[in-house]
Amino acid sequence: MLRAENLSKRYRQGEKEVVALLGFTYAFPRGATAVVGPSGSGKTTLLNLLAGFDLPSEGGVYLDGLALHQLPEDERARVRLKHMGFVFQQWNLIPTLTAWENVAFPLLLAGRPRKERQEQAFALLERVGLAHRLHHLPSRLSGGEQQRVALARALALDPPVLFADEPTGNLDAESREQVAALLFEAGKERTLILVTHDLELAARAERILYLKGGRLAREEVVQPAG
Amino acid sequence: MEILHLVLRNLLARPVRSLLTLLGVLIATASMVLFLSFGEGLRRSLFQELSRVGPAIQVVPEGTEGLGFGGYPEITPRQLAALQEAGQALGVRALVPTLFLARGGFDPQTSFFFQGLPPGVGPDLLYPGVRAREGRLVPTEGGAVVGGKVAKRSQLSLGSPLRLSPQVGLKVVGILEESGGLADNLIFVPLAPLQQVLGTENYSAVLVALNPGQKAEEVARALEAAVPGLKAQTTGEVMRFAERALRISDLVRFGISLVALIVGGLLVANTVMMSVYERIREFGVMRALGARRGFIFRLVVLEALLLALLGGTLGLALGGVVSFAINLYTLDQVGLALSAVTPRLSLFALLVALLLGLLAGLLPAYHASRIPVVEALGRV
Repeated sequence: MLRAENLSKRYRQGEKEVVALLGFTYAFPRGATAVVGPSGSGKTTLLNLLAGFDLPSEGGVYLDGLALHQLPEDERARVRLKHMGFVFQQWNLIPTLTAWENVAFPLLLAGRPRKERQEQAFALLERVGLAHRLHHLPSRLSGGEQQRVALARALALDPPVLFADEPTGNLDAESREQVAALLFEAGKERTLILVTHDLELAARAERILYLKGGRLAREEVVQPAG
Repeated sequence: MEILHLVLRNLLARPVRSLLTLLGVLIATASMVLFLSFGEGLRRSLFQELSRVGPAIQVVPEGTEGLGFGGYPEITPRQLAALQEAGQALGVRALVPTLFLARGGFDPQTSFFFQGLPPGVGPDLLYPGVRAREGRLVPTEGGAVVGGKVAKRSQLSLGSPLRLSPQVGLKVVGILEESGGLADNLIFVPLAPLQQVLGTENYSAVLVALNPGQKAEEVARALEAAVPGLKAQTTGEVMRFAERALRISDLVRFGISLVALIVGGLLVANTVMMSVYERIREFGVMRALGARRGFIFRLVVLEALLLALLGGTLGLALGGVVSFAINLYTLDQVGLALSAVTPRLSLFALLVALLLGLLAGLLPAYHASRIPVVEALGRV
């Protein structure tokens, strides 16, 4: 389980101190949790801290009891590799690698042999409906296809925690629906933390956290549709 | 898709830039190989030549040691007499006074090198294995024996006149077979006309041939002790001296080629640094997905190393081709292969290219591996 305890982040901007997140405490259960709020409410900062991209000014992040914020950079990277998957708004695929090679990248980092990497990447791409796009470079894929590749990559090592930061922000309606369906499907069996502006998308999660001015304003438990 | 594969993909993704950088390293390495190949070529020719030289000891005036064949004639007839006396006592096979004269300019095409020999002595005593192709092997009074290459180059035949000065002239009485050695480029004449032209009774050097079983070092030291003011050097000593001189010239030539190498290194560094700046987000994604800093560091250093190794290998090949072309020319002109791309030079060139790549890659690699993930992903 991923747990944030009294999590705060302060930045210096010249003379001024900016508080991006203040006293955030929450234990993310299995299933999808959406984090919503207006721009500047601290959503991105929260995700940065939960994923160990950045360190909190106060408080801590615990993954199954392991204090992530106390680990050195390379150890946090190791934890991310084994326990977390990421889907970003801008897809962030490696442009020189084909679709299957992008999906296989975390498996390469984990030291898996080539044959296994290839088999697993092919299977994941088939699962997201891209069996016909295995050898295409990201530049030859549509936005929706790229996001599905990114989702397949996030699932490559079957991580217990999945982060999605505005995953449908840059997509048309049809692609948005496809990606959302795949995302919530994957989120059923793990902890999915979905950061979004899109309240309609957030409503499909089991819980919604409302951030305001860097604080957790309220938690809403939604009855998942269907 | 191993790490090397990733590196290669990235280099191929920017083909023009990679190619231009490769060319920079290629030219830098080729110029270094070529510069240094002259030292290797000289070394090889010299040692082949020296190992063929008959006399084991050369006596030259003190202070002109080394390859002092062309030194100003300073050995007096009295010193020669003293040497002959000492030589007889030591039981040496022969003692040959000799004199050198160079005529012409810097161009080997129009230059003539004369070596004076005492009456009755042929060039085969000094250059074992040379044989007459036409006419005589031993110069006569008023008659010269011409090396094979000189004869061909200057179209000399038996009976052709040779003018040493307005007053002194000789006729060709013998032409040597080409042996691929120094003798091909020399004209052997009696001592007297050379001494007349130079206005001296002195000699440039005295060459000492030993009998079997005699030790060159011991004879040399005994000759030096017997005649003060002269230095008797064995072939081994000449080789050591030449090696020392060549090492110094190697350093000078390496110094010159270092300029090209530094420029090549800066090119690689610039290319890799640009590529790092363009891919900051990509590195951020890799780190976010779980790549450690060392992985990113290796990725960038390998990119620089691969560029340097490819450029270095192609540069080595180009250096080899140009060296071959130079040798075709110099073999035709002076009968010597002046340039040689030896295995140790090839290895050295590749190591220098790799070192260059490593140095050029370290800073960009360090930079790429230290950028905070949030900054690299643009998530601040």
